[in-house]
Amino acid sequence: MNNTSFPIPMLHSTIRIMAPFLLAAIGGLFTELAGMLNIALEGLMLVGAFFSVVFAAATGSLFLGILLGIAASVLAAYIFGFISLNLRANVFITGLATNLFAEGITVVLAFQIFGNKGVIRFENLSKLPVLSIPALQRIPVLGDIFVGHNVLVYVSWLMVVIAAIVIYKTPFGLRIRGTGSNPAAVEAIGLSPKRYRMYAILISGFTCGLAGAILSLQMGAFVPGITAGRGWIALVAIYLGNKTPHGILIACIVFGFAESFSNYAQGFINMPADFILAFPYIITVIAMIAFSILQHYRLKGVER
Amino acid sequence: MDRKRIANLLSSTTGLALTVGISFAIVVLLILVLSEQPGTAIYYFFVGPFTNAYYFGNMLNQAIPLIFTGLGIAVAFRSSTFNLGGEGQAYSGALVATVICLALPTLPGFVGGTAAIIGAILIGAFLAGLSGFFRMRWETDQLISSFLVSSAVILIINFLVTGPLDDPANSMLTTARIAQQFQFLKIYRPSKLDASIFFAVAIAIGTYFFMQRTHWGYEMRMCGINREFSKYAGINVGKYLLVPMAISGGFHGLAGAVTVLGTHYRCLKGVTAGLGWNGIAVALIAKNNPIAVIPAALFFAYLDAGAKAAMLHADVTFELAKIAQAVIFFLVTAQALYGLFNSRKKKVTT
Repeated sequence: MNNTSFPIPMLHSTIRIMAPFLLAAIGGLFTELAGMLNIALEGLMLVGAFFSVVFAAATGSLFLGILLGIAASVLAAYIFGFISLNLRANVFITGLATNLFAEGITVVLAFQIFGNKGVIRFENLSKLPVLSIPALQRIPVLGDIFVGHNVLVYVSWLMVVIAAIVIYKTPFGLRIRGTGSNPAAVEAIGLSPKRYRMYAILISGFTCGLAGAILSLQMGAFVPGITAGRGWIALVAIYLGNKTPHGILIACIVFGFAESFSNYAQGFINMPADFILAFPYIITVIAMIAFSILQHYRLKGVER
Repeated sequence: MDRKRIANLLSSTTGLALTVGISFAIVVLLILVLSEQPGTAIYYFFVGPFTNAYYFGNMLNQAIPLIFTGLGIAVAFRSSTFNLGGEGQAYSGALVATVICLALPTLPGFVGGTAAIIGAILIGAFLAGLSGFFRMRWETDQLISSFLVSSAVILIINFLVTGPLDDPANSMLTTARIAQQFQFLKIYRPSKLDASIFFAVAIAIGTYFFMQRTHWGYEMRMCGINREFSKYAGINVGKYLLVPMAISGGFHGLAGAVTVLGTHYRCLKGVTAGLGWNGIAVALIAKNNPIAVIPAALFFAYLDAGAKAAMLHADVTFELAKIAQAVIFFLVTAQALYGLFNSRKKKVTT
């Protein structure tokens, strides 16, 4: 491998890898701000991944596939929300249930439809369209890193901007935040915190569906457990990002880079694949502990 | 008082019956939609585990590690600590037990078995204790840290089992087989049921007394009810962020050890998969009561056994059990279902 060009492809793939993290975390940010720990991100992503690739293959249209994949994920989110809010179940437990249910239903359906519990390939699936603007690509370094990804990668960045505007600049965002920080006040002005929690959950269903679609469509295949803990890492990104869209963006860049780096490291050091897969978790837990140590001493400083 | 108790019991029983009923209804619906032989599939899913001694014994056997993971979660939840790393802790217990037995093949059965079990308990307690320590020291979120540590551990064990510790003589992804003398006694042949079921029941009863009748148990429960209050009552609350986690992890390690010593005799890839998650559901169904963990674990084992029987006799897949379990998970904490009967009674009594 050419030494001088080595960091560029690594950074290029960082941008690609981080997109699903980013989408899931942005959706999770809404539920987090509305005062709920959303453990279901992982399961919602899995539902989106399965149904988008299956529907894309069935309809022959990527766009329809993505749309129906998102619809499935939003429906799953609605069930999760309905049981948590209307039947007043513990959100943490229903989140776990959503993940288990997603794992079960995708494998059961895959088995009954395709007769296969392993990797399901869809050969005649078209690739996600790649956005390539030759003029921009000629910009040294930046052009190489940021141009030439599939469209959904750019959608994920766009989503960060939209989320920032919605959360900080609209009444809806204010109400979502109010639902988390002071539900009594939201209720006092005649609004229903429950309803805003449901909106937040549905938004997380939407972004997780899209995140899942990226995972399966860029492979043109569905693999059981294709999300491989990404929903959990997205959850950590929300914390490390201090519950702000731009903070999440930075956290996701770090995680994307960690994964991209370990992929490349595999080429140099002969590391087994399972170790590589463990790497993002280890980085994440270290980052999380470092963050809480920082917070701990910052709070102590304030007390003094 | 008595009437209130009866009302409570009635409402939680109806809630549980509804929860189970809905989950069964969804499984039946799925089978009707997906299977080409729905009659056979439904029959074996529900009745299969009781049709012969082999299925029945295996079902009981399956409940043993679930009793341990259920106890582990019950102790943690009772103390308001959260252990989401059960999957990794159980798996590490299975690995360590196997490694100890493989490293000391000439030890007498009892000594080596005990060493393996202690090693498994210690590794589980250590892994869960880490998250307890982080929370105690720096308020790191326990839920997420225990999950992340466990996920990393699972992948590293997968690597060990399929790489350095892989048994080349065996085509499966697994370590070598442990020596004969370490294997638990079979008590109900031809099924896999082994003597550790008595041990599991005894431990469940012991845990009940530990939580209800000892100083530590009392302080742990107090911290679970109100940590702030306990602090002012002079309880060392920091200690009880760590201790329940370590106990919980120890139980999960133990579950891994009995899986190896009692059933598989080797650490297969993913040998304990599902034990951690299902332990949470078992504890919730049991309302964190250690004795109620026993029937709850049997019930979960029944779902697994039913799905396995249905898979062997019809065209459905084992993961149906997962769906039934997930539905129970969804509804088991739903207050709307559980308050159906006692809402009216409550108003009268209070």
